[in-house]
Amino acid sequence: MRYRVIHVTKYIYEVPAMLCHNLMFQIPQDLPFQAVEDYTCEISPKPSFEADRSDFFGNRYRYFSVERMHKMLTVTSKSTLELVAPAWESADPKATMHWELVVEWLHSTAASSEIRQFYLESHHVQFIDGIREYALKSFLPGRPIMEAMLDLNTRIFKDFAFTPGFTDISTPLEKVFEHKKGVCQDFAHFSLACLRSLGLSARYVSGYIETFPPPGKPKLVGSDASHAWIALYIPGLEWVEFDATNNLLVGDKHIRVAVGRDFSDVTPLKGIVFAGKEQEMKVSVDVQALDEEEVDS
Amino acid sequence: MIDSYLIEKMFNNAPFLDEMATDQGKIYPHWERLAKYYDQIGRERMGQFHEEVGRQLRENGVTYNVYGDPNGMNRPWILDPVPMVFSSDEWEGIEKGLVQRTNLLNLVLSDLYGDQSLIKEGLIPFELVYNHKGFLRQAHNIKLDGDQQLIQYSSDLARGPDGKMWVLHDRTDAPSGAGYTFENRAAMTRVFPELIRENHVRKITSYYQTFKNTLSNLTTNNKENPRIALLSPGPTNETFFEHAYISSFMGFTLAFGEDLTVSDGYVWLKTIKGLEKVDVLIRRVDDVFCDPLEFRSDSHLGVVGLMEAVRQKKVLVINPLGSRVLENPGLMAFLPKLCRHLLGEDLEIPSVATWWCGQPLELSYVFENIESLVIRNIYRGTNNKSVFGGSLSKAELDLLKREIRRNPYLFVGQEMVEFSTTPAWINNSLEARNAVFRSYVVADSENKDYKVMPGGLSRSSPEKGAFLVSNQTGGISKDTWVLGKPKEAGALPVKAISIQPLVRNVLPSRTGERLFWLGRYLERSAYTVRLMRMALLSYNEADEDIHIQENPVLNTLLQTLTAVTGTFPGFSEKSILKNPEPELIALVRDVEKSGSLAYSIQSFLGNAYAVRDRLSLDTWRILDSISEELNKMRLSVTTIQQAYHSLDSMIVKLMAFYGLNIDNMTREPTWHLLNIGRFIESAVNNCTILRGMLSKSFDQESNKELMEDTLRCNESLVTYRYRYRSNLEMNGVLSLLMLHEDNPRALIYQLLEIDQHLRTLPNDGDGELFGAERKKLLEAITKIRLCDIDRLAEAEPATREFLALTAFLDEIVDLLHETSDVVYEKYFSHTGSSYRMMRTAVIPEI
Repeated sequence: MRYRVIHVTKYIYEVPAMLCHNLMFQIPQDLPFQAVEDYTCEISPKPSFEADRSDFFGNRYRYFSVERMHKMLTVTSKSTLELVAPAWESADPKATMHWELVVEWLHSTAASSEIRQFYLESHHVQFIDGIREYALKSFLPGRPIMEAMLDLNTRIFKDFAFTPGFTDISTPLEKVFEHKKGVCQDFAHFSLACLRSLGLSARYVSGYIETFPPPGKPKLVGSDASHAWIALYIPGLEWVEFDATNNLLVGDKHIRVAVGRDFSDVTPLKGIVFAGKEQEMKVSVDVQALDEEEVDS
Repeated sequence: MIDSYLIEKMFNNAPFLDEMATDQGKIYPHWERLAKYYDQIGRERMGQFHEEVGRQLRENGVTYNVYGDPNGMNRPWILDPVPMVFSSDEWEGIEKGLVQRTNLLNLVLSDLYGDQSLIKEGLIPFELVYNHKGFLRQAHNIKLDGDQQLIQYSSDLARGPDGKMWVLHDRTDAPSGAGYTFENRAAMTRVFPELIRENHVRKITSYYQTFKNTLSNLTTNNKENPRIALLSPGPTNETFFEHAYISSFMGFTLAFGEDLTVSDGYVWLKTIKGLEKVDVLIRRVDDVFCDPLEFRSDSHLGVVGLMEAVRQKKVLVINPLGSRVLENPGLMAFLPKLCRHLLGEDLEIPSVATWWCGQPLELSYVFENIESLVIRNIYRGTNNKSVFGGSLSKAELDLLKREIRRNPYLFVGQEMVEFSTTPAWINNSLEARNAVFRSYVVADSENKDYKVMPGGLSRSSPEKGAFLVSNQTGGISKDTWVLGKPKEAGALPVKAISIQPLVRNVLPSRTGERLFWLGRYLERSAYTVRLMRMALLSYNEADEDIHIQENPVLNTLLQTLTAVTGTFPGFSEKSILKNPEPELIALVRDVEKSGSLAYSIQSFLGNAYAVRDRLSLDTWRILDSISEELNKMRLSVTTIQQAYHSLDSMIVKLMAFYGLNIDNMTREPTWHLLNIGRFIESAVNNCTILRGMLSKSFDQESNKELMEDTLRCNESLVTYRYRYRSNLEMNGVLSLLMLHEDNPRALIYQLLEIDQHLRTLPNDGDGELFGAERKKLLEAITKIRLCDIDRLAEAEPATREFLALTAFLDEIVDLLHETSDVVYEKYFSHTGSSYRMMRTAVIPEI
């Protein structure tokens, strides 16, 4: 599938801001099942300073500062990508390694730190009470890891209600677990906590997904959103992605931007601003599947 | 004295080794001279010397702050007159061991932020590093030039039961205490000069020379004349004294996070001349507080974008961000093996025995022996206190075990060290106290080596048999003497010190702003004291039977006092006027009452402490005595009589501050800003007093008294008599206090002073002759020069009010306020005090 993504973030200041420094994690990369044809980023007002960097987890990001008065900051990321079906789609979940063996392997020096680092707790992913027990209902003794994971994914999808507005980025995992409500990043954090509490390596993936309007209604511009899901390390298949929000094994419809321990490592845009008063923030995302005709024209 | 110490020691059968004597009571050779000396001088003189040491430190203004204690600010630093002593032979070993340990830790640090081969080879467990909050992923692959990444290193050492020195803690993030070490030595040298000479105590000053040379060597930008700033968390930090001390001593610019900004990838100091590039930042702010963009977004102590500037090598941060990963007690368990692997040597100085719970065998050992171990988190933080297993209840132990089991990598068990005692001067006698010694090591980049300070900061516990020693919990500091071999003295080749980089005089805007307020609060305090004395005198003399409202002089004084202190409604309230004593006393002593004398003096002191690196040592002494006087005033003033006495002593101390600064301060921006503040405040107070005191004409006697008091408030009564040799006349008084350019108390003099100081400040050169602030001032000056004094001295016949005078003074005050605003805008605006630093909202992913 080919996609075009337009991601616009706006900060509007009641009183003009005099200075801001920002980190932007919105640059998709070429990956085994994803090819980036084109990426552009426009920042207004023009940054006084910008630099492209790679982080500890291999993501590309941009640092920029605006060092003059501005009433509004707009960041527009545009990308065109082609996705192909990942290899794990054709894997047989029953044929994967028993999950306990994976845990054992991960905890030896045979596994690299690059993989091992994702079984530790992180800022948003804490081993809260009851989480391991919740995970163990899917991760039964001797069960193949991918089969168990698909089961966990479905349970989270069924047990939790997708409820925008109930949580924000500071909502603790306990509350998400207690009320079983949240949005994609809560489900991703919850999935990660389940897996890591068992000693498995799993990481946060941020990106986009195309959404569809209710039947008969036109699709609204900017109605898409940035999305989040997880990747579990399965020996032989490497990082296999699961989307609990949509009860999916990720295929060729998830556009990946960055990976990290949790949301805080890959926040699409974060910054420190010197401003007098309140700020208003607006974001719009458009994910458009490009059919063949459009490609030709 | 020594005998009773030895007897006490032997018969008490203490489980500890002693630094001075063997278990059998035989004094070690390196303690002999000291022991003999103490016996010679006896208890009484030793007590005197103790006091003298304390006095030296107090006079040098040596203080530290205790967190969470309202009276914890600027506590005097306590120094035991009995030092910690090392023989030259033993020191050789310690020195060698410390250099080895620093080299080792440096290699570990380089590896952890490089290719991590030590983790890959299993020499350092992965979890020990990746779980440690000091491991900053943002610092990965960032290196200083050359092999030395660890520039400053400190460790706490103590003598274990085997007689060897053991390392208790490593400090690699922003080690503190070296400044106090210098102050301790200075005080000891003054009090015990012969003792220090006879024992050939080694000098410690080379430490900072090496440090400075290394900084110059490492700087890649502006090598000739690097600008070095010391980043301090600010005056409430525990060791702020030291930050100010080291800055002035070393010629660093003392900076707080708000003084610095990142632009174009460089770090800049906001000065009153604009932005100045910073090449090196010595950091006394903890790692994750240094850059709210990349680390803790709630930190207000750091510089936004600092990490990116480091990444671009536009600034050198010492110690590098990320060094804290070495402050990890879990690492201690692996050092012996690492030392053999990396250096091919055995570790010279052992660490306190440590079991890291991240390994199953060690975990079960810790669980089995938990009651005899100290349990610590691998990351030192305010929430992670060490606990001694033996002091916990069964339930607490279970809870702790559960916590450890949940995340075993985060914990270590450490042996409870019974470290040695050393003689300490406590309650006028020598007593044995456990002591810990903090060492200081610095990179010598020229020789690719590390240098150990021959000395350091020792601390002993105030209680008998107490193990945990820190200044926060009330430790007593000790100077540390490393005895030299007599023949060595002077034998070392004297190496030429690289020429001290020229310290350019830059004034951070924040410092400028503080100095400006320092000047303003100084004058506000002085005017308040003088007017208050008049008011109190008049109140004491007043006839009790006559209501104050019927007493024009007292009433006017009280109303003016309310106006000058800005404490409305104050005496304009009838009920307060009926019983004025509580309000008068509150105006003197109530620190919480904005505008009171205590409040103004407190604000004066607050601004002074914030710029203490700019003030001379003598000034600090005066500030300390003002602070003492303020405390007395707050605690003891309950009657009008006491208030009056208190005002008398306070004014003398304030005058000492004036005198000292007028004589001593170099005429640079510091001085000019202080004086701009002073004279703006004087001029405003002058106007307010004239306006308050001379607003209305009463009977002749009252008028005369009011004019006299007005002159007294301005210390101009004598001048008046001398000049006019006549009765007091309104136009004479006004003319003396407003128009006489040679009277320092005249409004015109004060305005001209402001102008003199303003013209020395850097101007942005907008092409005009006068900046906006001087234009406003010139307007005021001209108005005064052109005024018709006889007209101003005339009361309205109907109301007997001096309406023309009041209106005129109001105009001048308005112009002064406008001048002040422009000065503020022009020189201090990039302190950005009207801007809040905040995190931008983060968009959730759905």
